[in-house]
Amino acid sequence: MKQTAESIRDRFLKLGIDVPVEDIESRLDELITKFKVPSNEAQRSVTNYFLKKYSIPKNEFYVRQAEPQLTKIVDISENGQWANLKAKVVQLWENTHESISQVGLLGDETGIIKFTEWKNAELPELEQGESYLFRSVVVGEYNGRFQVQLNKNSSVEKLDEVIGVGGGDFVPAARESELRNISDLVGGQWATVKGKVVQLWENSHESIEQAGLLGDQTGVIKFTNWASSELQDMEEGKSYILKNVVVNEWGGKTQIQLNRSSSIEELDEDIEVGSATSTYLGAMVDIQTGSGLIKRCPECKRALVKGACPEHGKVKGEYDLRIKAVLDSGTSTQDALINRELTEKLAGLSLDTAIAMAADALDPGVVMDKLKTELVGRYYTVTGHKLDRYILVDSITPRTSLDREMIDEMLVELEVQ
Amino acid sequence: MPGFFREAARRIFAQELKDSNLTSRDESDQYAPQYLLTPTGAKVNRIFLVGTLIEKEDIGTDSEYWRGRVSDPTGSFLVYAGQYQPEAAQFLAECELPAFVAVVGKTSTYTTDDGNVLTSIRPESIQQVDELTRNLWVLDTAKQTLERIRAVEAEIDQNSKLAKEHYLTDTGHYRSIVKKALESLK
Repeated sequence: MKQTAESIRDRFLKLGIDVPVEDIESRLDELITKFKVPSNEAQRSVTNYFLKKYSIPKNEFYVRQAEPQLTKIVDISENGQWANLKAKVVQLWENTHESISQVGLLGDETGIIKFTEWKNAELPELEQGESYLFRSVVVGEYNGRFQVQLNKNSSVEKLDEVIGVGGGDFVPAARESELRNISDLVGGQWATVKGKVVQLWENSHESIEQAGLLGDQTGVIKFTNWASSELQDMEEGKSYILKNVVVNEWGGKTQIQLNRSSSIEELDEDIEVGSATSTYLGAMVDIQTGSGLIKRCPECKRALVKGACPEHGKVKGEYDLRIKAVLDSGTSTQDALINRELTEKLAGLSLDTAIAMAADALDPGVVMDKLKTELVGRYYTVTGHKLDRYILVDSITPRTSLDREMIDEMLVELEVQ
Repeated sequence: MPGFFREAARRIFAQELKDSNLTSRDESDQYAPQYLLTPTGAKVNRIFLVGTLIEKEDIGTDSEYWRGRVSDPTGSFLVYAGQYQPEAAQFLAECELPAFVAVVGKTSTYTTDDGNVLTSIRPESIQQVDELTRNLWVLDTAKQTLERIRAVEAEIDQNSKLAKEHYLTDTGHYRSIVKKALESLK
């Protein structure tokens, strides 16, 4: 507290006012000790009190404090920090929101950073390639990356000098992100991936060009190619190199997105989606809600919840049969998605029979009950591609025999002891 | 849901579950699951077992409350199902004895006035299965129990150490239980 008081006193001394340190301290003490105010709040409150007492205009006081100390882009490291930058407008992007007037990239000798200029900042329009002095911009953090924002308190001044941007001219296409394995992708980065289109999903949403699954030797991941990217379509079963895609995480799942700065090149080689197939042995210990007879949206094939699609609202659903099973080895658990074809075979129950059963009982729940009765508690081996926490099951076989050799081996070990 | 994971269903023979009396729970979190540490160091919350349902009785006074006894080659498990386990209770009410059943459930313990700890199972599901499934479970459980016995002998992890310290586990005894179970498959 003593320090805080001293620093307030110092600030006022600079303005030529000597505030008795005891006064400052006693005010701070009252706020912090008696009224449990956090010390930074108390500091502000006490400062404001003395500003008022000595009739110093607040903005004058605070502006003095913020007088330009220039920050280099590379040194931007703290969310919420205010900064003054000398930088060149490297790129202007198409802005996506009505409350934003301009958005793009700023660069100086040390790096490049995204900027957003809010409409209500009422600043002059920036031109690509020109250099400016930006005063009082705010550093924000989004998806683990820093950006600067120009708001009402910011100011912009055009410079005659040209600010060099780190390593010469910046051409986005020349800067290619690193090639990565699909299993190594984590959210909040740019990457280049090589993979085969394992599955294309039917998707009718107008802002999406294509969506599906892309796989390489290490795993499978969902991809979305936005219509606004204006990239070519990909074909199922063909391999591609996707440059500069955005990796992000949504609901705990990692996915990649192709946008305007991404590119697609078809490859001659056929990428093997090898070890993405995994096998799991265990007992089926649960069949989860959303299994059995379900309805899907005719547009996007998503399962309906209470008759409504999360994307398309109330629709007339199409019936489908599936199982969301939990397999358990005794030391781990594995979620498995079993499609209609396999479900029909496994439970000896066709979709039509299931629909008839549900109609008969006036309750689709009877289908789920039937599946539980038939399948839960039994041992199975499943194989399929792994996607997030699920195995998308390609084959499922019940265990049909005891491993006699294993019994004998164990008995031998037990005899010896 | 970050931090949420499904408890694996442990494989324990009836005899070993009966011998267990060490429970633990993270007291700082009211939603923390309760675990039962067994003499071979299995930390059990959920359990999966397959055995023969040999007795059932409605012991409820107002509403139905079913107790089932499921035997395996080493002893028997007690399974209690009431209004909060409607599917399992309905199964017990309707099934005929004896029958091979697969039970997935959570272990619970009860301490008697004289300090004995009784273990039982609150089923999430009970299904009727065939003999092969029962045999597969016996082999599965024998294998996993033997692995835990080896771990206790080597004191390789926290659970094995704790189990040995608390129960002074006689691994020879549990080896003979595994042997007995395997011989029943011959």
